Amino acid sequence: MAAPSSWGLWSFCCRGWSRVLPGCRLPGLRSSWPRGPLGARPLSQEKRATETHFGFETVSEEEKGGKVYQVFESVAKKYDMMNDMMSLGIHRIWKDLLLWKMRPFPGTQLLDVAGGTGDIAFRFLNYVQAQHQRKEKRQLRAQQNLSWEEIAKKYQNEEDSLGGSHVMVCDINKEMLKIGKQKARAQGYKAGLAWVLGDAEELPFDDDKFDVYTIAFGIRNVTHIDRALQEAHRVLKPGGRFLCLEFSQVNNPLVSRLYDVYSFQVIPVLGEVIAGDWKSYQYLVESIRQFPSQEEFKEMIEDAGFQKVTYENLTSGIVAIHSGFKL
Amino acid sequence: MPRGVCGRLASALRGTRAQPPAVAQRCVHLSVSRPSPDQSERTRKPPRAFDPALLEFLVCPLSKKPLRYEASTNELINEELGIAYPIIDGIPHMIPQAARMTRQNKQQEEMKQQ
Repeated sequence: MAAPSSWGLWSFCCRGWSRVLPGCRLPGLRSSWPRGPLGARPLSQEKRATETHFGFETVSEEEKGGKVYQVFESVAKKYDMMNDMMSLGIHRIWKDLLLWKMRPFPGTQLLDVAGGTGDIAFRFLNYVQAQHQRKEKRQLRAQQNLSWEEIAKKYQNEEDSLGGSHVMVCDINKEMLKIGKQKARAQGYKAGLAWVLGDAEELPFDDDKFDVYTIAFGIRNVTHIDRALQEAHRVLKPGGRFLCLEFSQVNNPLVSRLYDVYSFQVIPVLGEVIAGDWKSYQYLVESIRQFPSQEEFKEMIEDAGFQKVTYENLTSGIVAIHSGFKL
Repeated sequence: MPRGVCGRLASALRGTRAQPPAVAQRCVHLSVSRPSPDQSERTRKPPRAFDPALLEFLVCPLSKKPLRYEASTNELINEELGIAYPIIDGIPHMIPQAARMTRQNKQQEEMKQQ
C-alpha cells in the first residue's frame, strides 16, 4: 500500500522537484482507495462526490478536517517562529496591510476566524487603542480650560481605552487558541478580547453581529469554503465587511518560478530542521497550490452574497486580500 | 566633596518633590489604588472564569438558538436540543464533537437510581 501511494504522489507532483529526497514518503496521508499510475482512480461516481484535496493528496471530506486538525496541532508551538522564518518576516507586513485596509474605528466589533495565535486580533487592538488615544488627545487639546477635577476624571476613565471595540477570536484548533491566549497574557492584552473554539463552517454566533469578519491564512484549510463564506455573510451586520488574507496565484512568471523552487525545496526542509515536521509544511505549500485563483475566489465570495468584491495583490500575487461587503 | 554636592542635589530634589501639585498627588493615588483592586479580583476570581458578556454573542452552532450558562458544571447549555458545550480553560468549545447530551445523562441517572 505504501509503495503505490508514493509512486502515485511522485508522478502527481512532477513539477521539477529535482532535489526532493526520493525517500520522502508521506505515511500519514494514505488515501482511502488504491491509486493507479498518473493518478487515475478506479472510482464510482458517488465516491467522487465526497472527495476533496489535502495538499496534492486526495482524501474524503470527513478525513480532511481531521488531517488539518493534526497538522495545526503539531505546528502550533512553533507556528509564529516558522512564519517568520518561512516568509522572512514579510507576513508581518501582510497582516499590517490587512489592518490598514480595514481601518477600524473605536467601537468596531471584529470576528477573526481561524485566528488561532491572535496576530490579527492583537494588531486590531493596538490600532484601535492608538485611534482612541489620538481622539482623546484631540478632545483634550480642544478643551483648554479644564479644572483639576475634570482632568483627574479623564485619567480615571482609562479603563475603556478601546472605545467599545471588541475582537472575538474563533479557531477550530485548541492548541492554536492556547498559544494565542498565552501570547495575550504575555503581551498584556486583557480587555476587548475573547477566545472561542468553533468551526468556520458552523459559526456559534447569532446573525448580524459583527462589523468586520477577517480570516487570515485560514480559509484554504476549510473543507467547504462556500459554507464558510455563507456563515461569514450570516454573522456580519448589514454594511459589514468581509476581509480575507490568503496565499494566491502569482502573476509574474519569473517570481512564480522562484516561488515554486522556494516553496517545494526550502520550506519543507526548514520545517524538518526547525520544527521536526516535514509533512505539515509539505501540506502547507501544497494547499497553497490547490487554492483557487484570485478571480475564482472573488466569484465564490460573490456567490455567497457579498457585493463590491475586490482583491488586491501583495508581493506580486503571492498573497491577496479579498474584500466584500454585506449590503 | 562630590558626596556633599550629591547630598545637596538630593535634598534639593526632595525639596521640590515635597510640594507636588494636588492633581499629581491625586493621579498617583489613583494609579496606586487601581492595581490593588485588580490584584484582589484576580485572586478572588478562579483562573478559568467565563465572562457572561460573551453570552450575547454565542449561540448553539447547530440550531443558532441562545444558550444558558451553567456555573456549576461550567457549561453552556442548549435546553431545546439538550446539549451542553464545555468551557475548558476559559475557552468555550462550541463544536458538536465536544458537546455532551444532557438528556441522556439524566436517563442514565434514573437508571442508576433504579
